[in-house]
Amino acid sequence: MFRRIAFMLLASASLAVVAAEDGKVKSLLKQADVYRLAMESGRVETEVRTFKAGVPDKTRLYAVYLKPGHRSLVLFRTASERGQKMLMLGDDYWLMMPSSQRPLRITAMQKLLGEASTGDVATMTWGEDYDGQQVGEETVDGVPCLKLDLLGQRKGVSYPRIVLYLAKKDHHPVQAELYVASDKLAKLARFKLGEVDGRKQVTVMTLIDHLQKERSTEVHYLSRTDKTLSDDYFNPAFLVRADLTQ
Amino acid sequence: MKLPRPSSPYCQRRLLYCLAALALPASAADDAADFGWTTRLVGEGHELRRGSPFAAGLELTNFGRDRYRVEQELRGRAGPVSLLLTATESGQEGAKPAGRFVANEAFADFSAGGERFTAGKKVLSGDVGYAFRPIDVLQRENRMQMMPPQLEGIPMLSWDNFSPDGAWSVVIANPGHQRRGEAREDGSVALKLYRRVAAADFHGVLRNSKRYGLEAGAAASVVPSDALELHASLLVQRRGERRVPLADNASLRDLLTADSALATETIASPRKVLLGGTWTTEGGFSVLGEFWWDGTAPAATDWQRLKRQAAQRAALLGLSSVPAAAVAGATAASTRMFDQGNLAQHGMLTRLAWSDPGGRWSASADLLKSMGDGGWTLTTAVGWQGEKLRVDAGLRRYGGPADSAYRLLPERAAAFVGLSLAY
Repeated sequence: MFRRIAFMLLASASLAVVAAEDGKVKSLLKQADVYRLAMESGRVETEVRTFKAGVPDKTRLYAVYLKPGHRSLVLFRTASERGQKMLMLGDDYWLMMPSSQRPLRITAMQKLLGEASTGDVATMTWGEDYDGQQVGEETVDGVPCLKLDLLGQRKGVSYPRIVLYLAKKDHHPVQAELYVASDKLAKLARFKLGEVDGRKQVTVMTLIDHLQKERSTEVHYLSRTDKTLSDDYFNPAFLVRADLTQ
Repeated sequence: MKLPRPSSPYCQRRLLYCLAALALPASAADDAADFGWTTRLVGEGHELRRGSPFAAGLELTNFGRDRYRVEQELRGRAGPVSLLLTATESGQEGAKPAGRFVANEAFADFSAGGERFTAGKKVLSGDVGYAFRPIDVLQRENRMQMMPPQLEGIPMLSWDNFSPDGAWSVVIANPGHQRRGEAREDGSVALKLYRRVAAADFHGVLRNSKRYGLEAGAAASVVPSDALELHASLLVQRRGERRVPLADNASLRDLLTADSALATETIASPRKVLLGGTWTTEGGFSVLGEFWWDGTAPAATDWQRLKRQAAQRAALLGLSSVPAAAVAGATAASTRMFDQGNLAQHGMLTRLAWSDPGGRWSASADLLKSMGDGGWTLTTAVGWQGEKLRVDAGLRRYGGPADSAYRLLPERAAAFVGLSLAY
């Protein structure tokens, strides 16, 4: 009897520790998110620079509108892509090419194709999409970090698994290992902080491609504003309309 | 909204530059204005089919003559007004360069009383398919063209309503028109519906026009997994039309009269159906497969009859009582059978494509097969995308049994190269 009670107490204590751990990881992710996007809805101007063997290859501009509920709308602003739009509603994606004026439903795989994955551009937070546990501590580029092993909590995340390194001191993101569905390491992301409106923010995310070794990408966050769009704009049928605030 | 043709392509380019000059300062002054310019050069080479049944009339047709096309395109918007203007110079073998200036799109999106409207000239493509789009009843886009020019919109007025998971639009296309030359030029009123349910999109359309009466269609696109997309589309028309050759017992006079070389056949309650799907891999490969039935496309027996009549006309050449010009004219007129959007009544498309994960290179191979008569076209293409420059090149070949539509085409093969510079 005593052993059974002891076992139950131990099991309850273990569950409590796991729950506390879960809550702690969620809290850490939310703190890290603030360094990437400190608002629920807004518009982020993004410049994506791709490099091949360290040599600048292409530059692309995007305007990304974000809304709660995993809603994002990406407007392609570079001359060669002008007029393209991509809408992401949770795990569902649509692409509109200006030549056809027809929103096209695409798969998660199709979303990942193309120059810089628009998923990389449009995903600005981890807190809502990932959960996991702290698996240790490591020093990355001289910064003591907490190491978190995270799993995607919904089907449509670009990377089902992320190993994230957050600074021990203030929990800002330092590095992330991004794994694709086959659990291959696809990209290594490094985060550079800068002063934006008197606040520390991620200004550059560098993605080093592990599947194509010679490729790397810099995602520069040019501006973040709280400019928002009405819900109509996040309807796939609305993509054919041109009255989008650029 | 075609503007009067200026006297030369140079005038047209100047006109476009002037329009751009008017638009671009707006871009500088107004933060919302956004315009882009694209120059496109397309070169083509064609191999005519020697011994074609239509050889007697080919001199009078455009088959195999296209050589190049230079397009200047201005696309963008200022406030509620969107514009797509193109000036094109095109060259054909044995002809002087021809110029064309078109306002492909010029429309305004606006809200009034809490409702949303669009008015002007706009591209109104619809449907979920790739090779064939049954419910594309407004734009009626010709599919599977090599390096096609920009689509030209339709004069329209629409009232649009959006809810969190759906939308409806009432569209008046070509207001004031009755029946015109092509079906897309007809006056019509249409109701378009859209509904999103979980991982599926559902589309509906109801259109009424003088030519076809009521047309009702539905389409769906479903994404059951990260890699797979499935789609289907169905259209039922009150009336349909197709171009067919003369009846087999046609008189010699009709056989030699260009205006009666083809007849328009009315079909009661035709149906159009498409089923398809796309599988995409992590490595950038994708396979698309589509099957369709088009109740308004010519049947295999129509193509066989066209071939027989071309042979009958060719046999009359050299007879002193039959003017060669009449044979040539009627033979050339009969090749308008190939102008119909869909040559395969029962068709299948298999498309294998690859995109470089870095976004630089792409390649594709399309095999379109007519299941009814066994004819086919095979198109292979590669593309390269730079910072501003895009290069495309490809080859197309037509084949099949001697009396199949694609084999009857007076062309055996075609090659194209396209350069596109955006700035």
